[in-house]
Amino acid sequence: MEGQVITFNREKCVGCGTCEMICSLVNEGICSTRLSRIRVVRFPREARNAPITCAACENASCLLACVAGALYFDESLGMPRVNSEQCIGCRQCNVSCPFGHMNFHQEKDIAFKCELCDGDPQCAQFCWTGAIEYPEKEQVLLKD
Amino acid sequence: MQGYAGKILEINLSTNAQTIYVLDEDMARECIGGIGFNARIIYDHIPPGTDALAPENVLVFGVGALVGSPFPTASRTEASAKSPQTGGFGTSNSGGFFGISLKNAGYDAVILKGRASDPVYIHINNGQVEVLDAEGIWGNDAWEALDILRARHYGAEIALIGLAGENQVRFASIENGYYDGWGRTGLGAVMGSKNLKAVVVNGDMGLQPESPRALLKTVRKAQDLIKATTSYVPFSSYGTMNATIPYGNFNAVSTHNFSRETLPDWKAVAGRQIVDTYGTRHIACQSCIIACGHLAEINEGKYAGTQVKALEITPTTSFSGNAGLGTEATIKAAEICQRLGMDMVSTGSMIAFATELYQKGVITKDDIGYELEFGNEESAFALIEDIARKRGFGAVLAEGVKRAAEIITGSEPYAMHIKGLEIPMIDPRGRWSTWTLGMLTNVRGGDHLRCRNPVENLRYNENDEALSQERFGLKLSVYEKLDMPEDLKAIAIDLDKDTVDIARMAVWAENLINLFNASGVCIRPPVLEAIGPTILADAINAFTGIDIIPQGLIWSAERTWNLIKLFNLREGETSVDSRFPRRFYKEAIAGKVLDEELVEKVVEDYYEVRGWDQSGNPYPDTVLRLNLDFAKR
Repeated sequence: MEGQVITFNREKCVGCGTCEMICSLVNEGICSTRLSRIRVVRFPREARNAPITCAACENASCLLACVAGALYFDESLGMPRVNSEQCIGCRQCNVSCPFGHMNFHQEKDIAFKCELCDGDPQCAQFCWTGAIEYPEKEQVLLKD
Repeated sequence: MQGYAGKILEINLSTNAQTIYVLDEDMARECIGGIGFNARIIYDHIPPGTDALAPENVLVFGVGALVGSPFPTASRTEASAKSPQTGGFGTSNSGGFFGISLKNAGYDAVILKGRASDPVYIHINNGQVEVLDAEGIWGNDAWEALDILRARHYGAEIALIGLAGENQVRFASIENGYYDGWGRTGLGAVMGSKNLKAVVVNGDMGLQPESPRALLKTVRKAQDLIKATTSYVPFSSYGTMNATIPYGNFNAVSTHNFSRETLPDWKAVAGRQIVDTYGTRHIACQSCIIACGHLAEINEGKYAGTQVKALEITPTTSFSGNAGLGTEATIKAAEICQRLGMDMVSTGSMIAFATELYQKGVITKDDIGYELEFGNEESAFALIEDIARKRGFGAVLAEGVKRAAEIITGSEPYAMHIKGLEIPMIDPRGRWSTWTLGMLTNVRGGDHLRCRNPVENLRYNENDEALSQERFGLKLSVYEKLDMPEDLKAIAIDLDKDTVDIARMAVWAENLINLFNASGVCIRPPVLEAIGPTILADAINAFTGIDIIPQGLIWSAERTWNLIKLFNLREGETSVDSRFPRRFYKEAIAGKVLDEELVEKVVEDYYEVRGWDQSGNPYPDTVLRLNLDFAKR
């Protein structure tokens, strides 16, 4: 929760995609890369993998782009969130995110994104390589 | 029914007709998935006596039942057809990401029939199926073709053949992306005979589990069980290279066409230090928590710039052992085989076979065009290229060792195969075990991957006088945790004598691995030891809702094994096909030969446990018990 931050280490990621399966299972009750809030981008020839999700920008462009007031910054989570009740499905946030981390749910016609499983991100819980972690911010800053 | 895609796709390449079969609950329960689907489809769809390279042969990709879920290692797809090598059930299992894509594209299995008039490839895109012209792709090696197809179909997972498959080399593989493949039994030749270069799949429609909560709980439990095995850390660090040294110590590595004991400097080409020297990043399949694979990189010397998944026991024993190559040449050979689309076990065997023939004067430089010598990489690579392109003597070797031995006068004693499939890795004279019995009883021929004692112990190499037992030697806690019916456990493992009954364990291991290959789970040792029918039933029920009990899963696996055996018998297999080459009984390695009578006795015991007669025919009551009446002989 507050004071914690999700971290990705591409050097440790082996590309197994367990995080994607767990994410969609926990959040949507389905096993689906399309409905996963985290994505693993694979470069198979070089055996390189990059898990990516919301970068939790401070001045997030998705927030600025939202015309429906559905996106808001959750201070305790330290990340933008979607109020799905208010989302009108205009997809401006999808277009605006420079990292491509805003997702769109075709069936529900709303935007969705990583919300850190309300402060207990299951991708980090199930990641067995240490590529995804959810440490205290201080720890990350100390490392640098 | 959930968890499954619920549909099986059939494409007839002669007519371009597409048929969709609904996967009903009866078939799901009887066959589970993967190899279970394939066995039934192959039995039903291939007319008896079909030539393996004729349009009437049928190639099937069957995805495991748990693939598409986060169950650890659930990634695997079985490919099957009538084998152009054995004439029986050809089958091979591969992980990667092809299976999850195919299921997410809407199909649990794909049946490929007929022969296209011109080279084609198939694109399956979330339920849409197109047969497309392969011009500009046919004629390329697998990696070049992958580069083109991946650029054209973003995010696709691709099964394809290289030049060896196009040219119908009998041990051609189907490659699965850049580094994985359906290697054994010549399925690439079948794909080539259909003028089919690739099956390209884009699939991300999602799979709905029956019970997401129960599935999540089972996944966590399975991960914990696998991580608790003693082999977990070694395998997640060094993969299968761990096993290369024990087999070397037992003089059990296939060496120079099985003509000699393990090389004295084996430790220079095998073991963990090879991974430390050449390995860079780990490579995982979908949902795997081991990542046994490694990218190997060579930075200096004549192979500088080589980058390929290698450093595993199969290429190591095949190229460093059987063909006698050095480590860097073995890594390069792995790359050449992956690009050409050739089975690495059989390729190494063919190099070894030809080299021994050359040494023995059975063939000469006039036959081949160059000299052959164990350990000579230039001639080995030239031979591989000649085989893939069917040039000169390579055309003879491209027939596989059994047929090549029928062509080359005087070469039969050196043809190391069982049922027409070249024998991999392990010399049963050096180590006799459940595993090596499994080479004889394997329904796909001389191969090591369909029978493996889940509590195999590589610290020991001891048998009783009758060769009926191997040493157990593990902790009581391993015995207690092993998920095997208690009554069977009690007779298969004798804790007082500290032994494992080889015949009984072989039957259990074959059934268990068949269940893994139906579920889509990997048989790496930490998984094979930790995961059994109980947790698989929990996972399959949570994912699919087919409501099956552990005994039902084992019944299904046994049924599939028997159905494959009945297919083989239908296609002409006889009991003499389940024999080792004479060399194992006549020529000693490090002072050891196998006693033929004793081995035959263990095979007879195995048949008895299977419920088969002494010719390997399932008894009528076995056929009845397994609901295989339609296939009875």
